[in-house]
Amino acid sequence: MARRKQRRRRKSRRKAVRHRSLWTRSIVIAALLLAGYLVYLDFHVRQQFDGKRWSLPARVYARPLELYAGLVLTSGQLAAELSALNYQPVAAPRQAGQVARNRDTFHIITRPFVHADGREASSNIRVSIAGDRIVQLDDANSGRPLSLVRLDPVMVGSFYPSLNEDRVLVRLEDVPPLLTRALIDVEDRHFYTHHGIAPLSIARALLANIRAGSVVQGGSTLTQQLVKNFYLSNERTLTRKLNEAIMALMLEWHYGKDEILEAYMNEVYLGQDGQRAVHGFGLASHFYFERPLPELTAEQIALLVGLVKGPSYYNPRRHAERARSRRNLVLDVMGDGNLLTAAQVSQAKSRKLGVVPYRKKALNTFPAFLELVRRQLERDYREEDITSEGLRIFTTLDPQVQWQLEQVIDRRLSGLEKAHGIQADSLQSAAVVISIQGGEVLALAGDRHARFAGFNRALNARRQVGSVIKPAVYLTALEQPDKYTLATLLDDDPLTWTAPNGTTWSPNNYDRQFHGKVPLVSALAHSYNVATARLGLALGLKPIIATLQRLGIDHDFKPYPSLVLGATELTPLQVTQMYQTLASGGFRAPLRAIRAVLAADGEPLQSYPLRVKAAIKPAAVYLVTAALRQVVRNGTGRALYQVLPENMDIAGKTGTTDNLRDSWFAGYTGERLAVVWVGRDDNRSTGLTGSSGAMLVWRDLFARLGDSGRLQAPAEGTEFLAIDPATGLQADSGCRDAVELPFIQGSGPVEMAPCARGGSPLQRPVDWFKELFK
Amino acid sequence: MIFRGVLIPVCSGMLVAGLLGGCTGMAGGQRPPVVEQGTQMPRPVNQPGVRGAGPGESPASVTAQPPAVLALLSRAEDQANAGDLAAASTSLERAIRIDSRNPVLWHHLASVRLAEGEYVQAEQLAAKSNSLAPGNHALQARNWQLIAEARRGRGDRSGAGVAEQRIRTLTRH
Repeated sequence: MARRKQRRRRKSRRKAVRHRSLWTRSIVIAALLLAGYLVYLDFHVRQQFDGKRWSLPARVYARPLELYAGLVLTSGQLAAELSALNYQPVAAPRQAGQVARNRDTFHIITRPFVHADGREASSNIRVSIAGDRIVQLDDANSGRPLSLVRLDPVMVGSFYPSLNEDRVLVRLEDVPPLLTRALIDVEDRHFYTHHGIAPLSIARALLANIRAGSVVQGGSTLTQQLVKNFYLSNERTLTRKLNEAIMALMLEWHYGKDEILEAYMNEVYLGQDGQRAVHGFGLASHFYFERPLPELTAEQIALLVGLVKGPSYYNPRRHAERARSRRNLVLDVMGDGNLLTAAQVSQAKSRKLGVVPYRKKALNTFPAFLELVRRQLERDYREEDITSEGLRIFTTLDPQVQWQLEQVIDRRLSGLEKAHGIQADSLQSAAVVISIQGGEVLALAGDRHARFAGFNRALNARRQVGSVIKPAVYLTALEQPDKYTLATLLDDDPLTWTAPNGTTWSPNNYDRQFHGKVPLVSALAHSYNVATARLGLALGLKPIIATLQRLGIDHDFKPYPSLVLGATELTPLQVTQMYQTLASGGFRAPLRAIRAVLAADGEPLQSYPLRVKAAIKPAAVYLVTAALRQVVRNGTGRALYQVLPENMDIAGKTGTTDNLRDSWFAGYTGERLAVVWVGRDDNRSTGLTGSSGAMLVWRDLFARLGDSGRLQAPAEGTEFLAIDPATGLQADSGCRDAVELPFIQGSGPVEMAPCARGGSPLQRPVDWFKELFK
Repeated sequence: MIFRGVLIPVCSGMLVAGLLGGCTGMAGGQRPPVVEQGTQMPRPVNQPGVRGAGPGESPASVTAQPPAVLALLSRAEDQANAGDLAAASTSLERAIRIDSRNPVLWHHLASVRLAEGEYVQAEQLAAKSNSLAPGNHALQARNWQLIAEARRGRGDRSGAGVAEQRIRTLTRH
């Protein structure tokens, strides 16, 4: 028995030992697990806080407007730019982002802005405009003239990640102190003294919740709120609450109060813009008031602080009354905290909410241009970097030109449809406008309805180009000055060309007539197909294709003779590059839509500097421009000057394809070049030629843009000679119809025309306005 | 004096890299600075010719450099002399947007590219400056000097010789 007892005792002792070891083991394991979990939490907290905290969309900016005396800019244009920038019209500007306009004088306090090449401080300026230009630019304080002031650029779009979150990040030092202090007073009075959680508040909240039988009070500190938004789901469970508290403590352990506060300011959810969640005070300021945070008034700040409690319940656009009483409550808190005087509080309370009406903004205002930007970005960046790294993209877009282009296309196309009895809304159009010397894309239209982000014809529509290709043929000829000059007589008599395989080709002129011997300059000015075809065949297709490639067209041209009449398909953008090289005197500048890309922290990532390539000899290009000037003075482009001022110096070329399917015009002035295409998506006939369609869009555009600049000046190595157009020989005072033409030095005719009386060289200046070369 | 400083960092940089070739001439002072010391900045020569520039046009007056352009030019000078070539080139591009046919601006942009060691662009930009300055032999000579330098930088000695021949022709006039 005793043994049995003993055995039993031993057994139970063993059992106890086993129990005890199980206990310790469990505790150790639990402790280890907990420690592991805490380490994991801690790692999680730090990793996310240290690393990239948010995925930020790329911001795309237009060119900043540079103001200086002499700039061609009307009062209306300046007003439009300031309005696009949401400058606030006031009687007397007192802070950045405000403007007072008195007829043609603008008193502006510009916003400070970090441009691609550095920060531009705010300036207080007075701009005086007379007619179409700025005549005076002064410092409004001292009255001293300023040489140059740069405005902040209009933001023209963003590239969003699929997540549909958006933010305008702010730094704590840029947040108005009133906002910071009001936020703390309203949401977490002891923020600067607690360690992440406030047990008293939690207890109070717990009590309230028990009394109410449900969760009615949060009692969360700002840190906890941040943790909740930042790391956790929205469920209200005890585990989550516990996690939240632990993580809040960890966050406070690792980071300073200001860092936490700044993160909070950028994370807090403040509204909903369609699919897009509005996070952070920076974006909320734009979303509700269309201006940056530092420009908000006390009552606007109070409204935003009030929204923290419930952006949807207090939505000022839906529930104005709730929003107002919440705002006024916050204003009272501001008064209690001595952030505002009693007088300021009651004044602020009497003001309107000041929220701008909700506009369902197309995410990107200029979808066609942005597609070009994106295409150029994709050469250098990965898709996820474009949409999440907060890149700041500085583009070449000139909103003034873009707005004008959009308007003229829409109006002119409707007008054309009416005038020609064309079915309404059946015409389509695409256009590109660039700066000539730099090749910067100033404006781009890919659809007659500019807001429509569909098929981008400027970039993607390959259409037959017709005669807009001809300058390449003539340039190829004029680069051989020993064989061809502007005065060389070309043969415009009927032509039948037989291919090696026996097929024949008999090109026709648009007017169905043949013109005999015509000087080269007028064959181009009047766009004679037969003379051009014969010239092309004599030159050979290989050198012509080489010229097209030197002009900057990256395209695999098929060497068919009809190529010289434009039987090849190109996009408007490709045609623009070709004409850029011509307009710039032979110096090709690859078309650019981007000037620079900055990282979110302002570090320059990439610049897209101005690059040029001497592609064609300036003298030969000068002769082509001289001929293209004849196109619009006397040739197919004459109708331009029915509207445009005589002193506008223009060179251009029309293009029409078979059965009037495509209507093209490519033209340039001193500073700008535009290529316009008009046609139908189903490729049927439009009933329009280059000059009755696309050219009128071009004309409308340049009537609005204006340009007093001159075309390429006579290149070195060129000279002028008086020529008798009938014979292409040198003229003197005896020749009545003599014209003056540029030649590459030494290439002009030596022989005198029969009309020349001999001896007396031409004294009087030759009249360029005459209808030449019939 | 514009951009004298630009050339110094180029040289020291080259010395570090052990590429003395292009620099000995400069160190010996045989090579004129990009813009001669004490001389006025060359005027733009972008007026169209009497004839042919435009129909019935009278000789256009030479437009004076707008103050905005001068301000940017002087900013570019400061930036280049402080060694910030990227900033200098941005300022010059801004100036070119305002006065796009001013050959002086293109010349300076070329000299910044040269200082950056972007020899191909330096040469192209100098050629562009030349094309905008017909008849301005002083500026053309400087551009050819720059081209010679760029070609030497690329190791094209015979090309540099050709460019130097052009300088002699231009300065003989």
